[in-house]
Parts: sequence; structure tokens; C-alpha cells
Amino acid sequence: MNRLSIGGYAALLGLACYLPATAYAQQEVKQDSVGPVGTANVTPVTQAMLDAADKNATNFLLTNGNYAQTRFHPAKQINQKNVKNLHVAWIYQTDVKESLETSPIVVDGVMFVTTSYSHVYALDAKTGRELWHYNHKMGPITTYCCGPNNRGVQVLNDMVYLATLDAKLVALSAKTGDVVWKTDIADPELGYSETMAPTVVKDKVLIGTNGGEYGIRGFVRAYDAKTGKQLWNFNTIPDSSVGVWATKDATGRDMHRDIAAEKEALAKNGDPFAKLGGGVWQNPAVDLATNRIYFVVGNPSPDLDGSTRPGDNLYTDSLVSLDLETGKYVCHFQYIAHDVWDLDAVSPPVLVDVKDKSGKVVPGVLHAGKTGHIYVHDRKDCSLIRFSEAMVPQENMWVLPTKEGARMLPGANGGVEWSPIATDPSQSLAYAINLHQPMTYRVENSPYPNGKLWLGGAFTAIPGEKQSGNITAVDYNTGKIKWQVKTPEPMIGGILATAGGLVFTGEGNGKFAAYNSADGKELWSFRAGAGVNAPPSSYMVGGKQYIVVGAGGNTQVNFKRGNNIIAFTLD
Amino acid sequence: MAMKLRSVILLGLALSAGVAPAAADSIAEKTEVCAGCHGADGKPVDKTTPVIWGQLTGYIYIQLRDFKRGDRKSEIMQPIASAFEKDEMLAIAEYFSQKKWPDLGQPRAPKDVSRKATDAEHSVGCTGCHLEQFQGTSTAPRLAGQSREYLAKTMADFRTRARGNNPGMSDLMIATPESDLAALAEFLAGL
Repeated sequence: MNRLSIGGYAALLGLACYLPATAYAQQEVKQDSVGPVGTANVTPVTQAMLDAADKNATNFLLTNGNYAQTRFHPAKQINQKNVKNLHVAWIYQTDVKESLETSPIVVDGVMFVTTSYSHVYALDAKTGRELWHYNHKMGPITTYCCGPNNRGVQVLNDMVYLATLDAKLVALSAKTGDVVWKTDIADPELGYSETMAPTVVKDKVLIGTNGGEYGIRGFVRAYDAKTGKQLWNFNTIPDSSVGVWATKDATGRDMHRDIAAEKEALAKNGDPFAKLGGGVWQNPAVDLATNRIYFVVGNPSPDLDGSTRPGDNLYTDSLVSLDLETGKYVCHFQYIAHDVWDLDAVSPPVLVDVKDKSGKVVPGVLHAGKTGHIYVHDRKDCSLIRFSEAMVPQENMWVLPTKEGARMLPGANGGVEWSPIATDPSQSLAYAINLHQPMTYRVENSPYPNGKLWLGGAFTAIPGEKQSGNITAVDYNTGKIKWQVKTPEPMIGGILATAGGLVFTGEGNGKFAAYNSADGKELWSFRAGAGVNAPPSSYMVGGKQYIVVGAGGNTQVNFKRGNNIIAFTLD
Repeated sequence: MAMKLRSVILLGLALSAGVAPAAADSIAEKTEVCAGCHGADGKPVDKTTPVIWGQLTGYIYIQLRDFKRGDRKSEIMQPIASAFEKDEMLAIAEYFSQKKWPDLGQPRAPKDVSRKATDAEHSVGCTGCHLEQFQGTSTAPRLAGQSREYLAKTMADFRTRARGNNPGMSDLMIATPESDLAALAEFLAGL
């Protein structure tokens, strides 16, 4: 009823025509042009700023908040009492309506976000206005699993670092988005691709690789931040990948390996290291005190067929630590030896102090597994201190895949997929988002297909079986679940904890919500219209705290696509 | 007439800019033979032959490469692809990718067929590679609007591994009930 009829508009138009020109001149409001500004006045990001990112309430400088990857942001203007007043500050629509996994980086009022197909945008973090856009000229051949995703950039000094779907490492001018240098990481025709954000530390750009579904040989590398020259390479699959013939997983369950058959295959075909996979999907955590990095390594190739790859398949499905300066091996812990379920290690590790078995506080490492457990390690030697209660239903573990298909829970996406967890050390809580997708696991045998998809079978969702998800808070000093919120769909994307006593996370149905970090009570929510499947960030500009998140859906779980970056603030 | 005039002008510009006409001719020559099966207007002569007009560069290149390597079998395509080097394959792939995808006039699948197809798709996750609208990306081909008969034959060939250049696809098709394949082909063809 409040809408104007056509006649109403015509009447208004007529009136406007009769207004004297001077009246217009007095009311004229100059507007900014719609297009991009072309430059961003970015504060150079020093190593000292990055080292202290965990204490910086103004900025969000690293993909997971800080080098320890706690995803705990110290700003507390938005808190349990006032979060109900949170509202949209601005929405920025990117040019790419496809799976959105970006983790926004904020440097003194300038925000950097990425989209599928490796686009980068610099935005005014206060208004959402576009400052510049880098549209990567993609090579003709890209080979990748699970969507043309990109999970973000990092800034050091005046450069923005990006790894692209066609397996290149690119340094951009933070001011203009122009390319400063570009380096080929690996050959996309052989199954290599990049979707992770680089981690930049002490003039080194650290990067892993995707490709565990294509028979690559995985790696983590360091490149010189100034020149793009490779400094060191660590093969995530060592020349001797056989290991200790472990028969039990990290939790002590029997994996039903046929060790005799594997030994026979090893004697016949040799070590399978060259095509054994072992991608690294997510960022390493950096321990600045010891100069070590900690990351997790993904599944062996082919995913479900172990017959061609005898042995433990080191260091697949493992936590690995290296020396930052040299890339030399320090320690590892393998969760699942000779994995034939693709229940690998993907979610980025987090460095926090933890209680060891005797109750003594020691430097620890957390990793949330696709198995649905959060694993707690001693940082000194990677050894396992404890594992949490299962956050998702587990059934029939570890039944071996069959030609007809064997049902087992969790399904192959987890548990916790690539989604980063958050922590609140003051409560000794880790917050994880989980998937529950009942699946059958099938095995097939085929030779290495020259860089093509090499699954060695298929994991298929069981028609008619309900899927769901959850947000779970785990006390990492006891392994007990503190609280859990059930969600109607599987969860993938990420989570953020803040000093305001809140956690923020989104769902595939477009819901983005804030929860009391102590008890999981929902305090606020918003409907984004497309899947919120990206990790949120927090920052402050002009004295106001903002929460920002991408709402663009997800390829892997096929949630509704969109192209929005949405920032929220209080009045 | 207008088109012809523009072509003459463009050719003139190309010559004056020092572009060798032989290069321009060679891509046309190289692809002339393709029209015999894939259609002079992009509509394949036989329904079990795929649409390649508007198909993705990365996918066409990989198929040519695999025909040459013998990873994908075809008495017709193997000798043709064997004559090309990588840069030629990429140029041909780029050439066809720039053409407009033809409308084969295939009807939308009825609702019950679409539902059966999307249930089957959800189980194995086709959109994980072919993307939400089945438009494909790079080396994962566009399926939307592809010839129904070609889709049906290809899925069947993946199941038997007669189509041998993507064992991952074979694994996924083997995991898909045979009774769902016709619905999938009809659904994808009608997009």
C-alpha cells in the first residue's frame, strides 16, 4: 500500500520539472564515483606487526589471525550483551559468483579478499568501496579438486602474496594490485593447484600444494618474499614412505591392514613415493620461539585403493614440523597410516599451551581431524597427548572399502574438513565446525592416470540418510565436549572467537550467527542469501569493531553460490 | 556483406601489421577436418559425437593430448591428434572454446527425471568438478546442453573403462547405479 503508483511517480516527476534550477544547485550532493579508486593507502606490514598479530585488535593480519592460528581476535566492543544489535555495515559484491572460502585480511582500514579463480580485491574496510582488483590471467590448464577456490592472501611490507589455481605464486603491490613478481610453483597438467593463502614470515613465503586426488608428490616450500626465488623444498612424501607398518590409528583402533600383502607389493613394485599424493591444503602455524612450523599433510593417492601403495604412506595424514630456516624435518605424528578412506588431515593446526598427561602446562599443537576428533600434541616432539571425544557419529570404523560399497561414518568429508578451528585459551576451548554425511566407501583399481583424477574408487553419500552438521566446543585439556550446537546441514567454512565472549560461524543455508563462546547459546543471526562457508574475520576502524565474512556458497558440498563480502557492526 | 567487408579490412590490417597470413590459415586448415563430424555449425553430424564449439580450452587440449598418447581411444581422433604438438593443440582448443555453444534443441527434462538425476548427482558429487550449473571449468568439461546420446554413451563407456583416459570418472560412474544414467543424460542435455 505504501508503494507509489505509476501515476504517483508521474506526479512527482512533473513537480520536479517545475522546480527552479537554483533549488537543485543548493541541494546538489557530490557523490563518489562508483568505480574503483585504483590505489590503496596501505600501511606497510612489518614483521614486528605480524609477530604481535595476536594482540592487535585493530587488524586481522594472517589467515587464521596470527602465527599460532588461534582465530581468537582480541577486540571486545562487540560482546555477549550488545551483539543482538549487530547489523550490516556494507556489502561488497565481487565479480565471481562461485565458491567463496576467503579469509579477509585487514591492515589499518584496508581489506584484502579473494574469490574463486584467484581474484584479489582491496577494499575500504570502513565502507566496502573497491580500491583495486587483481584479475589473474588463468592459464588454460588447471586441475583441482573441490572447486576453483582461493582462501586468501597475506601482506608483508608493501606486497600482497597470492597462490593461484594454475599453481603460481604471485606478489602484488599492496598499493595498486600490480604484479611485482610471479613464480611457477608446479605443473598444473600433473594435478598441482593452489587454493591456500600463503603464510609469510621472516621474508619467506610458505606454500603447500593441492593434488592428493591426482597422484602428485606433495611439498611445502619457502620462497624469497622479495624475489620469488625458491629457498627450500620439503617433500611431504619422503623417499622412504614405508614407515613402521602401524596397524592402529591414533585412537588405538585397528585399521584392518593386510601387512603381508602390502610387504609383498612393496617387494614387487618398490616404494610408491613418487605419485603418493600428500597435499598440504592449509596454512602452517609458526612457533616464533623455536623457529619451527607445524602443518598437516593430506591423503595418499589414490584415495581409496591401498593396493598400489604399500606401507604407512608417510607423511600422509600426519602432523609435521619443520625448521623454518632450513625446511629440515623436526618431527611428525601420523593419525592414519595407509589411509583408504580419505579421512585425512586438512584443518590447520593451532599452537596453544596445553596440559600434558601429568597436568603440566606445555607448548601444544591442536588439530581437528576429519575423523571428528581434536588431537592434542606436545609441540616438542609432535607426540599425541590426548584426543577428544568424537564430535560426530562414528560407525563401523575402520571397515575396508569394497567393490560393492561399505558403509562407515564419518563420511569422507569429515568430521572437520579444511575449515579452520578457533580457540579461546582463557577457557581452554577449541571450537570446530563439523559435517555428518553418511557414506559408502568403494574401491576400484586403476594405474596412475597421468595427472587425472585418481580416486581408486568412490565415496558416495547414501540416498535417504539425513545429513547434518554441528558447532562443537572441546576442552582441549580434558578432551571433553563442553557444548554442541546441531545444524540442519553439514558445516564447512570456518569459525572465529573473540574477546567479546563470542564465536561467529556460518552455514550452507545462508545463516551467519554469533554464539556465547562459554555455552553455545545463540545470541544473534543474519540470513545472507547464499552459503556462508568462509572463515569470518574481525577488525576495528574509526573506533568501531566489525565482523566480516564471505557469503558465496561452496562447491564441495554444493551450497548455494553468491558473491558477497558482508561486514557487520554495531550502531 | 557487412561481415565479408569487415573480414577484408581485418585481413588488410593483419597484413599491414606484419602478421603472417599462413598462421591464420593454418588454424582454419587444421580445424577444417573437424567440421566433418562435429558440424560446420557446431552441431555434430552424429548424436554420439560431442559438441566442441564453446567447450573449455583445458578440456579440449587434454582430450587431444590423450588421443595422441593413446590414453583415449578413437580410430578417427587418434590419427588426427597425433599430427599436432602441444602448442597446436592449445591453439585448436582455444579456437573452438571461443565459438558459440550450439543449441541442439534438446528439451528440459521432466521434473521426475530431473529429480532422479539430481539425486544421483548428489550422491557422487558431479558439481564438485563440473560446477553448480554444469558449465565445467578448465579441464572439467561443460555438460549442460551436451548431446544426450553422447552423454549416455560416455557415461556407459566410463563404466566399462572403454573410455580409459579418466579412471576417476570411471570410478564415479561405476558407483552410480546404471538405472540412473539415462536420467542424468536427459537432465544434463536439457540444461
